[in-house]
Amino acid sequence: MSTKPRVGLFVTCLVDLVRPQVGFAAVKLLEQAGCDVEVPAVQTCCGQPAWNAGADGHATDIARQVIAAFEGFDHVVVPSGSCGGMIKRHYTEAFEKDAAWLPRARALAAKTHELMSFLVKVRSVSGVTAQFAKTVCIHDSCSSLREMGVKAEPRTLLGSVDGLTIDELKDQQTCCGFGGLFSVKYPEISERMADDKIADACATKATVLTGGDLGCLLHLKGRMARQGKTLEVRHAAEILADMGGEPALGEP
Amino acid sequence: MSGGRDEILSSIRARQLVRTPKPEIYSAPKSEGDLAESFAKKLSVQFADVRLLDSMADVPAAIADVLRGKNMAQRVHIAPDSALALDLPGIEVSREPPGQNEAAVTEVPFAIAETGTLAYPAGKGRPASWHFRPVLEIAVLRASDVLPELEDVLKRLGGVLPSTLNLVSGPSRTGDIEQTMELGAHGPKSLAVLVVKS
Amino acid sequence: MNLDPKNFPQAAREALTDPLLRPALGRLKTHFGAGRAAAVARYGDFEALREAGKAIRDYAVTHMDELLTQFEESVVARGGTVHWARDAAEARALILKVLQDAGAKTVTKGKSMVTEEIALNPFLEANGIVPVETDLGEYIVQLRKEPPSHIIAPAFHLSKEQVAETFFASHTGLDPKRSLVERNALVQEARAVLRRSFESADAGITGANFLSAKEGAAIIVTNEGNGDLTRLLPRTHIVVTGIEKVVADMTDVSVLLRLLPRSATGQPISTYVSVMAGKRGADESDGPAAFHVVLVDNGRSKLIGTEAQDVLRCIRCSACINHCPIYGAVGGHAYGATYMGPIGAALNPGVMGVENAAHHANASTFCGRCAEVCPVKIPLPKIMRHWRAVEHAKGLAPKSITAGLGVWAFAAKRPGLYRFGASVMAWFLRSIGRRGTVHALPVMQGWFAVRDFPVPQGKTFQAQWRARK
Repeated sequence: MSTKPRVGLFVTCLVDLVRPQVGFAAVKLLEQAGCDVEVPAVQTCCGQPAWNAGADGHATDIARQVIAAFEGFDHVVVPSGSCGGMIKRHYTEAFEKDAAWLPRARALAAKTHELMSFLVKVRSVSGVTAQFAKTVCIHDSCSSLREMGVKAEPRTLLGSVDGLTIDELKDQQTCCGFGGLFSVKYPEISERMADDKIADACATKATVLTGGDLGCLLHLKGRMARQGKTLEVRHAAEILADMGGEPALGEP
Repeated sequence: MSGGRDEILSSIRARQLVRTPKPEIYSAPKSEGDLAESFAKKLSVQFADVRLLDSMADVPAAIADVLRGKNMAQRVHIAPDSALALDLPGIEVSREPPGQNEAAVTEVPFAIAETGTLAYPAGKGRPASWHFRPVLEIAVLRASDVLPELEDVLKRLGGVLPSTLNLVSGPSRTGDIEQTMELGAHGPKSLAVLVVKS
Repeated sequence: MNLDPKNFPQAAREALTDPLLRPALGRLKTHFGAGRAAAVARYGDFEALREAGKAIRDYAVTHMDELLTQFEESVVARGGTVHWARDAAEARALILKVLQDAGAKTVTKGKSMVTEEIALNPFLEANGIVPVETDLGEYIVQLRKEPPSHIIAPAFHLSKEQVAETFFASHTGLDPKRSLVERNALVQEARAVLRRSFESADAGITGANFLSAKEGAAIIVTNEGNGDLTRLLPRTHIVVTGIEKVVADMTDVSVLLRLLPRSATGQPISTYVSVMAGKRGADESDGPAAFHVVLVDNGRSKLIGTEAQDVLRCIRCSACINHCPIYGAVGGHAYGATYMGPIGAALNPGVMGVENAAHHANASTFCGRCAEVCPVKIPLPKIMRHWRAVEHAKGLAPKSITAGLGVWAFAAKRPGLYRFGASVMAWFLRSIGRRGTVHALPVMQGWFAVRDFPVPQGKTFQAQWRARK
């Protein structure tokens, strides 16, 4: 009988569609940290796009699906502060008045974690075995910072990567302008916010921009591609799982 | 005009769901050390000229010095019925309200150490507008009248407020143009505070 | 000049290309943003202070009827008068009557966002009364016939050259060859010009940062001292303020006074804090002979008992505005309303109607910085989301977004269909991508207007994971 913790990996829709490597990186890191990882097949989305748009009916339908699929695990781990935040902070809001689902939402919230903070705080991982001889700057997503309380952990883990140097952004608190559907509804404002963040990144000594949220990274890389800027963009999980040799985001 | 009053109050009452309880009284971090020194330090940082004097006998010379330092004539305005009984040889004293380019000498009933603030309850001999009219206010304060917090000033007033209680923590200023601070927007451009130890 | 929240997208686009606005917004961040951070660091347990402020304001909002009644009793006991205005029109009419009864022709004004909200100045002018703004920033925008662009720094968007230009155009009695290159010269000129207004005004109108129920006092904070000259020199003083400003007593005010200036500009205390408890005493030589308070509802009471109730805790410090990246990109005028930034986004849909102010609630990434800095812990993004839900439920959201979400949700609730759809999408995007990105699609045009989309790696994670098992 295994005494390893059973972890349900919530892959996220963006990782599933655009960058599966992040999912495989997460599995590798979790297994290295002594977990049994499962990936429930019924997962699709956490429901955040619907929730943020005020489409509460859709959001709660999707949330029930997630709760039912994941509540049996010891831990639920998400390679994203944004989706993690939806499950951990907003499911209880969504079911505030639902006597049947509120306790289940609370229970799931209590055991849902962003990937890097799970490794450091729950599995006591202090370092990884990986090589990445480049200078990186770190983009802390708003949800990681403010909903999941993740700040030191990416630095602890990335700092342990062989050859990696961190050169921090000057402004680590201002939103990059993704914001889900905001990026589509108010493109010019989103563009300005991206440009400010990109200028900050390009002003560091880093040749790589990394972070824990794929949505932000897709938005920033997409904007850089339009501008002709060549900063390499990778999800932090990939670097930590020693997959830094693969093509970066948006590279052929 | 009872229509508006009744409707507004009904509107509020009809919608109240929860009445939260009266919270515990908040206790602010206390400043250490001598109150008058704490006060002087806080106010000096806010572009005021704060001087610690040994006794009331030193006040006239200090007033003369402040005026000289501002290239102003040896002339001040002191409110009629002011409790300040100062002998100011060589200094002309007017009892008229000060103009926008003149100096006033005022008595300070209380001061607050936490924020470096002068507390002026308006009253006989203490016209409130005199803290705003002149270009220079010279405030005379006894060190023993410096209290720790605003709450202490309110306690001293016994829960009865004057028509106006002015709390002054520096000369007048504005950052309204390009977020750059300039002194002397409407109120005094300079504030000098003479803190008398005994 | 945008005066309509419905116009926000176009106004925002124009603001983004305004060359003078960008450095001005940068200055706001450096001064107010850094100022607050430094003040918070120096304070010690700032979190405990925020909790205390929240509790005081929660008590006040949930006892608003009792406190307003008590406030009125206290004011009347000291010889003042309280007026109750259900809406903007009633407020304007009440104020006009007081001024007309007092025979007032010129009125000086301390800073009051509520008087902006009720559009008081044009109404007074139409009735033959001249209102003169005395807060330097408000005075400048009044001369320029612009609305304020920030709730505490109304003219932050202007350069000193623009202010000089305005003074040359408006202060026609002065020597046209004088120098107004220095900021100090501008301030000194305004001081001299406005001193005449202060001294000749028949009445003074101020706002109130707080109302203290027990003592019947209105409290204002300024750095200039203009509010005091507005109150103290004329015969009549009128306070115009929102009903939600009331708190229990001066002890509560003392706590909030620790929060407000630090959150606004980073100061431990504003230069002038004035506790105004009625008309002049019998033995006093200055101060108003008549004291009036106009309490304005204008949509506030109907937020009580709703998901937006917490917005009534607001003490109008502007911290949310100063830290908002959207405001930081487009400034205040783009919002087309008295209250802008996150507090505007949380308040306006409630008081102006969701159909009118939907953009305010939608133009947010929910980054949460506003809620993080709010001194009274208003969950601003949560309230904005509530307005989006109201908008969605009323069928007012843009059709393309609602339709797109509908399709997405349909698939998301059907895992088999979703996995198939995602696989097709991944394959499709990969096949149309060039050099690692997709440049355009007939959908999501907002994305592709300014960005490429990085091409998917290949098969979806789920497809690959199933294949491995």
